[in-house]
Amino acid sequence: MATELPKPATEEVKVDLFEDDDEFEEFEINEEWDNEEEGKDMTQQWEDDWDDDDVTDDFSLQLRRELEKNDEMK
Amino acid sequence: MAYPSMGEAHRRITDYLNKFSDAVSYQDVASLAQLFSFSSNSPSLLSVADALNFFQDSNRLIKQSEKFSQYGEILAPLFRSLQSYRVGNLVDSYHAFEKFANAFIQEFRNWESAWALEALYVIAYEIRVLAERADRELASNGKSPEKLKGAGSFLMKVFGVLAGKGPKRVGALYVTCQLFKIYFKLGTVHLCRSVIRSIETARIFDFEDFPRRDKVTYMYYTGRLEVLNENFPAADHKLSYALTHCNPLRESNIRMILKYLIPVKLSLGIFPETSLLEKYNLLEYNNVVQALKRGDLRLLRHALHEHEDQFLRSGVYLVLEKLELQVYQRLVKKIYFIQKQKDPSKAHQLKLEVIVKALKWLEMDMDLDEVECIMTILIYKNLVKGYFAHKSKVVVLSKQDPFPKLNGKPVNS
Repeated sequence: MATELPKPATEEVKVDLFEDDDEFEEFEINEEWDNEEEGKDMTQQWEDDWDDDDVTDDFSLQLRRELEKNDEMK
Repeated sequence: MAYPSMGEAHRRITDYLNKFSDAVSYQDVASLAQLFSFSSNSPSLLSVADALNFFQDSNRLIKQSEKFSQYGEILAPLFRSLQSYRVGNLVDSYHAFEKFANAFIQEFRNWESAWALEALYVIAYEIRVLAERADRELASNGKSPEKLKGAGSFLMKVFGVLAGKGPKRVGALYVTCQLFKIYFKLGTVHLCRSVIRSIETARIFDFEDFPRRDKVTYMYYTGRLEVLNENFPAADHKLSYALTHCNPLRESNIRMILKYLIPVKLSLGIFPETSLLEKYNLLEYNNVVQALKRGDLRLLRHALHEHEDQFLRSGVYLVLEKLELQVYQRLVKKIYFIQKQKDPSKAHQLKLEVIVKALKWLEMDMDLDEVECIMTILIYKNLVKGYFAHKSKVVVLSKQDPFPKLNGKPVNS
């Protein structure tokens, strides 16, 4: 392209071209699969908000200690 | 590069021409498509390219017989493209390929049945990939890369050809997905809107008729758009569709779907199991999930900071940042339970200064006013039920269900 002049750097010359890290891979033209089983599995990998009255975990115990700390000093 | 003899070159080229002509005559789409699958780099295709570069006068061969010359407008640019491709002149190759593709579309329109759709898919794919490589070549020479954009315009034209009442219309979704890939790569995702509108509202299209693989790809990209628009119920629906219908062996595709679905689910109060994160190498979300479960604002901030680049690149950073409100809810809830254990009768009255203390412990220095502001927001968004007694600086919680669960709905906006 002998007649084409390079655009000045302030315009759109992208040396580091836009990428999409998450471009979906192409399926083959006649790719077939069966995912009845896996489809069901997938829906079971999530937990709804569970019953969380439990405050016996480490974080909760530390939190309790913090809150009680200054109370004692009063 | 093995140079053939003149006779050998002549033979290879004529062979190719015969293959093309026969494929069209017998509607043999598989054979036809192979003839322009440049990216396959198949030895036979490359050897034809070598022959063309050596022979140099392939136009004469095209004209030697009516059998070939009837497709002259298609074959001549195809040959030029293949030649340029072989010697690595990708910009030239792209130009010629676009000419070839345009000529092919003209012919394609005349074929009544949809026999050649798969060949069209190959052209759509090849033109995109070739355009990407051409743009890299341009950029590396300090020139403005615009071939991918051009490929997008071409594919819009192809979409128009397919968007009619006949059997060819099932090909429209594949072309749409190629367009999505182009627009996402260029960062011009707003251009997706018009094809989406056509697919979803035109009466000629019945979504169920499209091939499954195209539906999965389509739902993945439109799901990602819904995430960008922070339309979480719609994003959940589309990405979940893609997830449950995707080929389970395609683990990197599954991973990509999950990468976007997980922040959506979290926004709806639904957590992925750690085993899921481990299986698909998405452990960057692990601390986010833990922070939500614990009410640990410090951990959330840490998690966002630690993977900031990743989250920014994929565009989910803001979605994750907004989870902060849910983390606040959990923290306040924990404080409530702790108080309840000590003195059930007073538990529903939360002093602001207690919350300030907890936040300080989590390395978040806030004064009473700021915490009041946050509590007001939580109440406004129905994450906390109660009211704020301003004078006494106490949050009075509702006796019933003071911390409503999201139940799969997004936080009130």
